[in-house]
Amino acid sequence: MKKGRIKVMQGNEACVEAAILAGCRFFAGYPITPASEILEGMARRLPLVDGFCLQAEDEIAAIVAVVGASWGGAKAMTATSGPGFCLMQEGVGLAASVESPCVIVNVQRGGPASGQSTSTAQGDLYQARYGSNGDYSLITLCPSTSQEMFDHTIRAFNLAERFRIPVIILSDEVVAHIREKVTIPDPDQLEIVERKKPTVPMEEFIPFQAGEDDVPPMPAFNTGYKIPVISQAKSLSGNRGNAKEAEAFIHRITRKVDAHIAEFADVRTYGDEKAETAFVSFGSVCRSARSAVDMAREKGLALRSVEVKTIWPFPDDLLRSKLTGAKRMVVAEMNLGMLVNEVRRVIRRPDIPIELFSKIGGIYPQPQEFLRFLEEKR
Amino acid sequence: MNPLGEKYLRKNFLPFLFCPGCGDGMIVQAFLEAVDDLGIINDLALAAGIGCSAWIPVYIHADVLKVLHGRAIPAAIGLKATRPSRKVVVFTGDGDGLAIGGNHLLHAARRNIDITVVMVNNQIYAMTGGQVAPSTPVGSRTQTTPYGNLEKPLDGCKVAIAAGATMVSRWSTAYPKALSRTFKKAMNHKGFSFVEVISQCPVQTGRYILGSGAPHFNLQWIKDHCVPVEDPSQIGEVEAQGKIPVGDFLQIEKPEFMEEVQRMNQKAKEAQSKGGER
Amino acid sequence: MKGAERIEIDRRYCKGCMLCQYVCKFEVFEPGQERSALDYLMPRPVKLENCRFCRLCESHCPDMALFVVARKKGGEKE
Repeated sequence: MKKGRIKVMQGNEACVEAAILAGCRFFAGYPITPASEILEGMARRLPLVDGFCLQAEDEIAAIVAVVGASWGGAKAMTATSGPGFCLMQEGVGLAASVESPCVIVNVQRGGPASGQSTSTAQGDLYQARYGSNGDYSLITLCPSTSQEMFDHTIRAFNLAERFRIPVIILSDEVVAHIREKVTIPDPDQLEIVERKKPTVPMEEFIPFQAGEDDVPPMPAFNTGYKIPVISQAKSLSGNRGNAKEAEAFIHRITRKVDAHIAEFADVRTYGDEKAETAFVSFGSVCRSARSAVDMAREKGLALRSVEVKTIWPFPDDLLRSKLTGAKRMVVAEMNLGMLVNEVRRVIRRPDIPIELFSKIGGIYPQPQEFLRFLEEKR
Repeated sequence: MNPLGEKYLRKNFLPFLFCPGCGDGMIVQAFLEAVDDLGIINDLALAAGIGCSAWIPVYIHADVLKVLHGRAIPAAIGLKATRPSRKVVVFTGDGDGLAIGGNHLLHAARRNIDITVVMVNNQIYAMTGGQVAPSTPVGSRTQTTPYGNLEKPLDGCKVAIAAGATMVSRWSTAYPKALSRTFKKAMNHKGFSFVEVISQCPVQTGRYILGSGAPHFNLQWIKDHCVPVEDPSQIGEVEAQGKIPVGDFLQIEKPEFMEEVQRMNQKAKEAQSKGGER
Repeated sequence: MKGAERIEIDRRYCKGCMLCQYVCKFEVFEPGQERSALDYLMPRPVKLENCRFCRLCESHCPDMALFVVARKKGGEKE
């Protein structure tokens, strides 16, 4: 039983609460539905803890200010929705290239472009992984409830500090705005991770050289290290790299995450772990999938719902193990088929049908629709 | 090497990547004179974007954050906000600062945040091979205006003043000592300071627009075309002659952004302790 | 009168732009025959005796490759 207090809050509010507890003291954002509550919440809370909240002139300023703040020594976050997330993509690559820990919340809404500002969707899945140019790795978390929004935000900051990467919290309009109970642990119950700092003086410090874990220590500016941090592919000293140095750099910044996926992969099962039919979903769709499992159980039908919580890097091994024994898989998502491609890539069994239950247009899929899908597509 | 360089340059990154005769290297030296005078190397946080001038701070042995094209100012704001005692200086160019980065210039000036923006103006996009910039004179034939530039150039100083900057100066590489003095003044100024530096680009601007790629020709051009004005009222006169007015155009005191933020934080905390959140 | 003991040009960094010659009012420099490490023809301070230690060449060098050592006047070098 977690110690703490219980509050009824929206996912967006839970995000703010968790960020402050995780030690976030810099936020920059731009108003955009359905993420604005995060900016507003940070604007109210950060001054009270000597933090700084900026409503930037655009999303590009927001993400780059977050990177600057990270090098300034702070834990920094931004929050946006699809259109703003598009604008931030160069900045996501920047954060990956200069290895600055930061958290980016994308509260998905209908797309493309301005799409449907007040309706839910899940069309940004690939963008969360591949939106920026070039090769880089990052981690993406997918909360389904306000509680998970809280927990994943703490986690996001910890993972960002651990790996020196941008961590994306891929929320959506339903999770953002639904109001439900959140247990907020006492601060002493929380595990908070801080970035590694250099242990040698400036003369011996090689800024982009890492040990076995591929993550170099990160000094804040003006702490005696005078380091050159450039957005180009770099050598160990931080200068522009030649071909071999650039290659080594790109391998290291991807390997540092991809080689450690077992450390953070999170895929959960709800319902009958041995059921032959499995739903696979992420984000708010998991809520409906769970209800579908419950409804089916009442009719004597065993189902399982496999919920992907860390969606990038894709948890191949863990997903496979959660789907052991399933003879039929239905991937449910609010887009025209993105997660389904990953599931098909991972489960390469011609005898197992992997179907797509796709719902777009902004109206959330009801549990009955899941069961109807199973019936109609039999 | 020059003793100033011995003291402040990042040796393992030398030589400068700048072309022979480029004004950027002269700006490094003038800036280091100011830094040495003020003794602030440990408090410096330098930010830059992309372009030739963006490499100026990289050669300085200080904390440097060189981000994306046009985005040095947001990075600078992140650095300043996390420790207001830092001396934050941005190095940008006429393209990086007025085209893609123009929006950020407006808003940083509007906030009057205590950073210094040095905009190196060589009237072209030099790094990418000589394309037209927002500062390129009308009629110039560049790589992207082969039939002559149709667009009127933007005056960065006027933009900065209109946006709310509290210190605005324009000088050039023709008088490095004066430039040093201005850098010192800007770094000492409390509030948003904007220093435009007319700088020679012999290889692009020189060859394509001015008629010669010789470094001395280009520096002479700057000497001939930059006219110091004592009073902003003389600016129009100089411009009418087809020349570039240089000088200290503006310096005023206005509430500085980070100080206002700290005041606001204090009040908010007091209000909260008195009786709950607003 | 002030003068130069010597003018040092760092051949590691000189790019032969000759701005030192251009800015010198006392005709100290001329184009030389020696190439720098970057393969540019370097200037040569041929008329060192003309130097008045104004150091314009030093402050104008775009590569910080040049500096002037003051002539000793029985006191310290600057």
